[in-house]
Amino acid sequence: MREICDRVSSVTDIVAVTNLSRTFGAKRALNDVSLTVTRGTVLGLVGENGAGKSTLIKHLLGLWRAETGTVRVFGLDPVAAPVAVLARVGYLSEQPDLPGWMRVEELLRYTQAFYPGWDPKYAEQLRDQFDLDPRARIKTLSKGQRAKLGLIAAQAHRPDLLLLDEPSSGLDPIVRRDILEAIVRTVSQEGRTVIFSSHLLDEVERVSDHLAMLRAGSLRLLGPLDDIKMCHRRVLLQFDLPQPEPPSLRGAIRVSGEGRSWTIICNEENLPEIARAPGARVVDDGAASLDEIFVAHTGASVATRLRPVA
Amino acid sequence: MTSLQLNPSSGTPLYIQLVAHLRHSIETGAIRAGEQLPSVRKLAEDLLINPNTVVRAYRELESEGILVLKHGSGVFVRDSVVARTELMKKAEPVLRSAVGRLEALGLDEDEIRRLMENELAVRRSAKQTRKKHA
Repeated sequence: MREICDRVSSVTDIVAVTNLSRTFGAKRALNDVSLTVTRGTVLGLVGENGAGKSTLIKHLLGLWRAETGTVRVFGLDPVAAPVAVLARVGYLSEQPDLPGWMRVEELLRYTQAFYPGWDPKYAEQLRDQFDLDPRARIKTLSKGQRAKLGLIAAQAHRPDLLLLDEPSSGLDPIVRRDILEAIVRTVSQEGRTVIFSSHLLDEVERVSDHLAMLRAGSLRLLGPLDDIKMCHRRVLLQFDLPQPEPPSLRGAIRVSGEGRSWTIICNEENLPEIARAPGARVVDDGAASLDEIFVAHTGASVATRLRPVA
Repeated sequence: MTSLQLNPSSGTPLYIQLVAHLRHSIETGAIRAGEQLPSVRKLAEDLLINPNTVVRAYRELESEGILVLKHGSGVFVRDSVVARTELMKKAEPVLRSAVGRLEALGLDEDEIRRLMENELAVRRSAKQTRKKHA
């Protein structure tokens, strides 16, 4: 019975990472990370630079072998079965590594050779939609055009899993829009899954079902995006007397401010106690934005908000 | 639907924003009774949001009796919704006058809201008690 259950669960869990750790020399890049990604969902992966997002994704691609713990994609070990896994995966990273001397059409033909599922009509439709000259050499393309070419290469074989590692960095809103469209299209077609790592929280909030937040290699938050947002609150406290130091409040995730006014980010369950802080009254309280949640848990202000694409 | 501005960074979950926008469009007649709404996939791709967000919004409005999901055909605004719109228009002044009188008595917003929720809860439990004994 247990075997059947395991097989069934690996059918709906497109990705299953269990107790994954990875050290590079002295640095703990990943620390006991466990997560699963269900078929047909988008996992948004956020964290400051060096938090371990790319390292995690590279384990899914079979580029790193798990030091401790296990990594399964489609129920397979990507290191042991790279062809079976990668045939069904589409990957796009920041500044895709494309040979400058190749022409656009050459790269697409070259990529096609690796993927049995490649749909040349779909590739051509995307090339046309992205307005890429098939005869142009890649070294003459702008950063945005290269990203679009990478997006075609990642999608044209209709992968069961789309892995995007900070694909939008430094790109203009129109290209970022194309990337979001690819994500939405991928999940709205039955049975396909996306992992999307990004600094751009607006975009993560738009398209993600679940959120994983990494800090220094450890998972700080993991769960449905709406649940995470709804269980974090922002409270504005006004103290009777100016506080020379940040007030110590049990259950506060982050305290910031000065003098008499202090902003607290906390879990919803700790709200009543914080609201009863001696010598203070609640001036305002509301749902914390993902920005605030991110900063509160990571202590870093790497969260970026750019002009919205839609 | 392209006029809809969703704000992912506000505290309100996206599906709730979408529900509010759709409800408002339907109540004001911008989307008419019996009209078909875009498919989940089309709306998600137009708005660049997760399709599950659209599913949740549609399901919420279906449970409120505003939309009907016809398997195989699509999502439609219920024909009976017209009656609700007129009803809502009639209800607004009733509520406005009641709230005005409570304010004149000196109640603040929280007190009015608490009174309202209490009254609705009392009625709800009375209804459930009647059902049980029926």
